[in-house]
Amino acid sequence: MTDTYLAQPDLGFIAQIRGLGGDTLKKCYQCATCSVACPIAPENSPFPRKEMIAASWGLKDRLIKNGDIWLCHNCGDCTDLCPRGAAPGDVLAAVRAAAITEYAQPKALAKAVNDPKKLPWLLGIPAIWFAILAYITMAQSDVMTKIFNVFGIAWSHAHEGVIAQANFFSTWFVDLTFVPLATAVVIIFLLSLRRFITDIHENAVMEGKTDKKNIDYKSLVQALVKTVPTILKHEKFNECETNKERATPHMMVLFSFIGLFIVTGIFFFVLYVFQTPGPYSQLNPVKWLGNIAGVALVIGSGLMIKSRLDNKDQVSTYKDWYILGIVFALGVTGMLTQMARLAHLEWTSYILYYLHLIAIFNLFAFLPFSKMAHLVYRTTAMAYAEYSNRK
Amino acid sequence: MTTDNSAPVSGSIMVVGGGISGLTTALEAAEVGYEVFLVEKEASLGGRVSQLKHYFPKLCPPTCGLEINYRRIKDNKNINVFTMTEVQNVAGTPGDYTVTVKTAPRYVNENCTACGECAKVCDTEISNEFNFGMDRRKAAYLPHNMAFPMRYVMDPSMSTDDRDKVKAACKYDAIDFDMEEKTMDLKVGAIVWNTGWKPYDATRIDNLGFGRYQNVVTNMMLERLASLNGPTQGKIVRPSDDKAPETIAFAQCAGSRDENHLPYCSYICCMASLKHATYLREQYPDAKIYIYYIDLRTPGLKYERFYAKLKEDKNIFFVKGKVAEVSEEDGTGNINLVAEDTISGDKIRQTVDLLVLATGMQPTAAVDKPAADLTFDADGFIVNDFSKGGMFAAGCANKPADVVTSNQNATGMALKAIQTLVRR
Repeated sequence: MTDTYLAQPDLGFIAQIRGLGGDTLKKCYQCATCSVACPIAPENSPFPRKEMIAASWGLKDRLIKNGDIWLCHNCGDCTDLCPRGAAPGDVLAAVRAAAITEYAQPKALAKAVNDPKKLPWLLGIPAIWFAILAYITMAQSDVMTKIFNVFGIAWSHAHEGVIAQANFFSTWFVDLTFVPLATAVVIIFLLSLRRFITDIHENAVMEGKTDKKNIDYKSLVQALVKTVPTILKHEKFNECETNKERATPHMMVLFSFIGLFIVTGIFFFVLYVFQTPGPYSQLNPVKWLGNIAGVALVIGSGLMIKSRLDNKDQVSTYKDWYILGIVFALGVTGMLTQMARLAHLEWTSYILYYLHLIAIFNLFAFLPFSKMAHLVYRTTAMAYAEYSNRK
Repeated sequence: MTTDNSAPVSGSIMVVGGGISGLTTALEAAEVGYEVFLVEKEASLGGRVSQLKHYFPKLCPPTCGLEINYRRIKDNKNINVFTMTEVQNVAGTPGDYTVTVKTAPRYVNENCTACGECAKVCDTEISNEFNFGMDRRKAAYLPHNMAFPMRYVMDPSMSTDDRDKVKAACKYDAIDFDMEEKTMDLKVGAIVWNTGWKPYDATRIDNLGFGRYQNVVTNMMLERLASLNGPTQGKIVRPSDDKAPETIAFAQCAGSRDENHLPYCSYICCMASLKHATYLREQYPDAKIYIYYIDLRTPGLKYERFYAKLKEDKNIFFVKGKVAEVSEEDGTGNINLVAEDTISGDKIRQTVDLLVLATGMQPTAAVDKPAADLTFDADGFIVNDFSKGGMFAAGCANKPADVVTSNQNATGMALKAIQTLVRR
């Protein structure tokens, strides 16, 4: 810290952090127990003590642009030992939520995702959208067939005589919704990340946390590759004491998403390249992977919800419930859709699939704005820590 | 201090606890002319102060203060001292209380001259709680060399063989194993509770290793180690190997200002650690002393000066950051500690010969609740309800305090007790 540093308190930011679950931040009296209690804090400029004073002073820039807030896994060891009940773990979680909103564009959408009053809109818009698509699929199939014939492409991927989701929602529509959506999400993330990396580097230089002067993107990517096994094995997460049991459900959810991503990729390829539409046989190994991943997703996210309900010491706010609710709903509706289809409950299956699509839409479209964005920011911050020799 | 010119008075005052503030209340009231029953559960008066090597900030020994008070008690016919006595029950209203007290048998009568012949022949040994269990003493023992009354105690655990031997050894016929527990009712008009404090149980501070590692001691243990009448005759050595410590660290706020333990500031620990630094410096001119703190609280001009003087010592280092993790070095018994230096922002990992936990004070009333209609705060301190009157608390039964403040408070409560009697 330079001698000429003049603190510029941002009272609005303090209020924001308090609203996001960090209402205890002013209790901190800077004893620094937390920095020692934290099993993953580095030796040089450990967190979260310095983040607590920055939060208390409303130093927004020092927090939002600070890569360290992402190194924290919110295990709660600091909160457990805190002599003042200042709950540094919850404060950092709130700061991360604020950081996600800060880096995400468009801002209005970011704010809506964190506002419970906007939830009807977040669910309603995809609900209407998918309802229209369902209507077209079922009622206007002739028109669509004609349109598609102009381009010489087959409209329907539906099987005759079996229950197939494609009879209800055209696979074309599903993919024409999600492929552009995914592309938009990737672009939003790339734009956010460019600012994010510049910021966390600038902050690391200012606080003397790195020996690197400039960002060398090639080395950063190499660092990322080195970080991936740490993330997959949850090595940092497992160093926690207080909430050790949280690592396993989190790991289940992460791996089921990876599994489902692989399954979706394969079936996308099978459909458009081999022109073989679903539903596929339950004996298909890819299907096995999908089912295992689906069950793991339900159990993992269910355990996470249960642990938050049971743990009265940890603050859970809307941002946490929103994302857990979406993930859990996604898993449950996915599995039930398939079960209803196999039980020949045609309409039950279709309605569940409709709900499933709304959940997927929420997860995907709002990925850069919801808590789920930690996937990108934490990974990047961990890769940067590796790159910048943060020890 | 005679009572010849005292005003005519009626009613008596009970003072519960014979530590420095209880002595003060009792004497101030008695010297005005009131009859005082001074009840002490230990075998000797003196309380925590008698366990100290020095008072801060003057650095004089506790005999200074205790001796003069004992003299005043001896000269004053108004004070009745009951040692080994506890309050069982308090009934009645302000101005008219009936207090039931129970006296445990000392097995030694007034004939005792404290010659010590009994201890010489006694083989049974017990843990010496006056030294926090750091050594053992005979089951026939003098509470300490500043005891009042200056009389031996026979511990009930003494073997039958030893009982015969000590009786035979006593030339003054002072030992009487037929003594029994006695219960009696005392009529008093006012009661002042000077029940004092206990060092907070450091084993409960899990992350600081007390009880697991031998060379982690509490500040009160260091007081005993430094005292001439302590387990090491005043030589500060570390418990594991009697080695002279070269590097010593103090962990301030050990269990104080911590809502997981004592949520309040214990008031004395900063000054106590600074005082301990003077003990160490006297014995070890080159020892390096590290004081890890959150804030150093040295209120008032005298205490500030004390602190300023220690800051001139180039081998005393003040580190702003709380010790939060402690382990033991393999083989050496040295203590590894971890803290964050919040000024530099770096984590500090240090290995020291001895770690002293500046543990705080817990009101005795929080652990042994008095059987009386008193108001307690959430931490167990007795709240003075002046509108109700009759019963008051002084010293550390009322709030964490140093000796000076305790005595001021104790004097004030003597007056409150007197007012209760006069207004009746």
